[in-house]
Amino acid sequence: MTKQKLVIALAGNANVGKSVIFNHLTGLHQHIGNWPGKTVERAEGTLHFKGYTIDVVDLPGIYSLSTYSLEEVISRKYIAIEKPDVVINVVDASVLERNLFFTLQLIELETPMIIALNQMDIAKKKGIEIKPEKLEKLLGAPVVPTVATKGVGIFQLLERAVDMIEKGRPPTPVEVKYGEEVEEKISQVAKMLKGIQFWYPPRYAAIKLLEGDEEIEREVSRINPEIVSAAKKLADQIENLHGHPCSTVITSERYELAGCIAREAQRIVPPTRPPIEERLHTLTTHRITGYPIMVSSLLFMFYFIFAFGGYASELLNKSLYGLQSILTGLFGTTLIGELVWGGVIEGIIAGLTIALPYIIPFYVLLYLLEDSGYLSRIAFLMDNVMHKIGLHGKAFIPMMLGYGCNVPACLGCRIMETERERLLAAFVTTLVPCAARTVIILGLVGQFIGVQWAFVLYIFNLLVIFALGRIAFRALPGESTALIMEMSSYKIPQLKTVLKETWFRVAEFIKVAFPLIVAGSLTLKAAEVSGLLAHIANVLSPVTVVWLGLPVITGITLIFGVLRKELTLIMLATLLGTTNFAQVLTPVQMIVFTLVAMFYIPCIATMAALVREFGWKKTVFITAFEIFFAISLGGIAFRLLMLII
Amino acid sequence: MQRRDSEKLEMPLTTLRNGETGTVTSIRAGGGGRGFGRGWGFEQRLMDLGLTPGTKVTVVKSAPFHGPVEILVRGSRLALGRGMADKILVEIEKR
Repeated sequence: MTKQKLVIALAGNANVGKSVIFNHLTGLHQHIGNWPGKTVERAEGTLHFKGYTIDVVDLPGIYSLSTYSLEEVISRKYIAIEKPDVVINVVDASVLERNLFFTLQLIELETPMIIALNQMDIAKKKGIEIKPEKLEKLLGAPVVPTVATKGVGIFQLLERAVDMIEKGRPPTPVEVKYGEEVEEKISQVAKMLKGIQFWYPPRYAAIKLLEGDEEIEREVSRINPEIVSAAKKLADQIENLHGHPCSTVITSERYELAGCIAREAQRIVPPTRPPIEERLHTLTTHRITGYPIMVSSLLFMFYFIFAFGGYASELLNKSLYGLQSILTGLFGTTLIGELVWGGVIEGIIAGLTIALPYIIPFYVLLYLLEDSGYLSRIAFLMDNVMHKIGLHGKAFIPMMLGYGCNVPACLGCRIMETERERLLAAFVTTLVPCAARTVIILGLVGQFIGVQWAFVLYIFNLLVIFALGRIAFRALPGESTALIMEMSSYKIPQLKTVLKETWFRVAEFIKVAFPLIVAGSLTLKAAEVSGLLAHIANVLSPVTVVWLGLPVITGITLIFGVLRKELTLIMLATLLGTTNFAQVLTPVQMIVFTLVAMFYIPCIATMAALVREFGWKKTVFITAFEIFFAISLGGIAFRLLMLII
Repeated sequence: MQRRDSEKLEMPLTTLRNGETGTVTSIRAGGGGRGFGRGWGFEQRLMDLGLTPGTKVTVVKSAPFHGPVEILVRGSRLALGRGMADKILVEIEKR
């Protein structure tokens, strides 16, 4: 037999252990990209089984196949158009009813599928006992119980999936039947759709037309707009009959069926004593104990990252700068040698020593928090604070990330539901003082004026974030969406999954940021070597000297700061020939300089991340705004501070 | 708050006390929800998560200072922003 290629897709709700199953199936043979032209992630991997080469596609975690989010549309289209050989529907056994609601929609899409009844261990702890055979009979599709975190049932799952494909004829699943009136309308619309070439099955398309599904309405009206208007009329009839919109009626009835199946397949005997996960949830979301726990976990997290990052950064720095003598030996102190060293190599070193030592531990901890389920509790606690700037609780997470490094923070804004919120969150995030800016705040103001002034600057920064966030929230068109979030049971995070996620993110960062960092530092070095930089500093002097009241050379350091924010301080020391800044800068100058450095521009790696997520136009806009804002602020602060100090 | 008959009271979900259970009657459409491109946004989302009319929903607690509400519905635990929870109308037995 020749080797055959098969395609298996994983589909299911969020937080059901889909990615854990995906990792079990594909091991290291996976890559994460994007769906063509979309910002939604596409994870794909391959495995070999019984002579087959199997392509596994991990679809995004969703609750429904409607058009609420891009993820839902992408998943639905993928299943309907690409027609994978089999869909593995990963189901959370501990929340069976809601998961089956999604399963029923897959059945309606008439896709061959098999069900992985996952998280059986969590269900058991909750006192939920499910008979897989019974569920299999009720659904008419194979059901394999799994505990993905322990690797239980994965082999059987794969075996049955392949077995199903080999047999060529998937078992006939349960018919998703609605009430009499609805059924009648469905068959009327389906009849109209017959004979029309369409990638969705007629019955499915009919149901969706009655539900008022925008995507399908658009597609169908391209072929025959009369069908859409006829379906609308029928939907109105249902609405008049039931007193609820047709989509509500259909969703309710589908849930009714999911509930029926769940009730028949499971038996719930609540444990007499709530399990530890439950008690932990109560404690971490409690109005009194929740906040101290959150603050101390976050503080611990930051402490760990800075301690580890600082140590690793220094270590890397030492070993990498050892290369300098080798390179100087190679190229001599020629112009090319200087460009190669100062432009290319130093750029790479900067990326390696500044970004990576902080980003890697950050991601590891972030995914540990996410996998365990704690992040959603933090979002719950912080929701009303974030609402002040038009964002909901989930936005707190990228903002928090921003204190480490703005780059992963901007990429992390993906967790927001709408484009508008993603942009708003990313904008706010670029204002958060990252580790590099902390170096400036503490190294200049903290050291030479006093820690209390550094603290004041932090508070001031927070105020600015809230003020600008509020303005941006008002200025951007659209409504704010409220928090709708599942808080699934706490679980012990899988280190393997966490490390893999971290690796993919870091690889992505390297791909995005490094070319830009190198290009940027090469340009700067060339400008420096050619003497252009001094010229630029002079050109900038009306701003730096007259408006901000700073020395001329700060023009140069601020330009270098675009590469790495802490370079503004390092360069300042080099150019002024001293690290005792008190000798060369007045306290007012220090504060003004720090204020400007804090806000004036996202660093080049952050810009790269912004471009990747939002495109050039918005990136340029954010950058231009921040330059303008920081300079205005600095000038005003200079004049005000002169009055006080 | 309106009185339906002698025993049932219809009220926003947020007026339920901690631990109280109600039955969803309807979801009030958001101001200007339709026509904003994504016409049936959050109502559909809430229903997809199981908050369909007739469903029993229990309020577990709410975060302090008018924070989100934690609810149990169809065996799952959800956090809803307060503004959203206000739009969900439930019916409870007269207390």
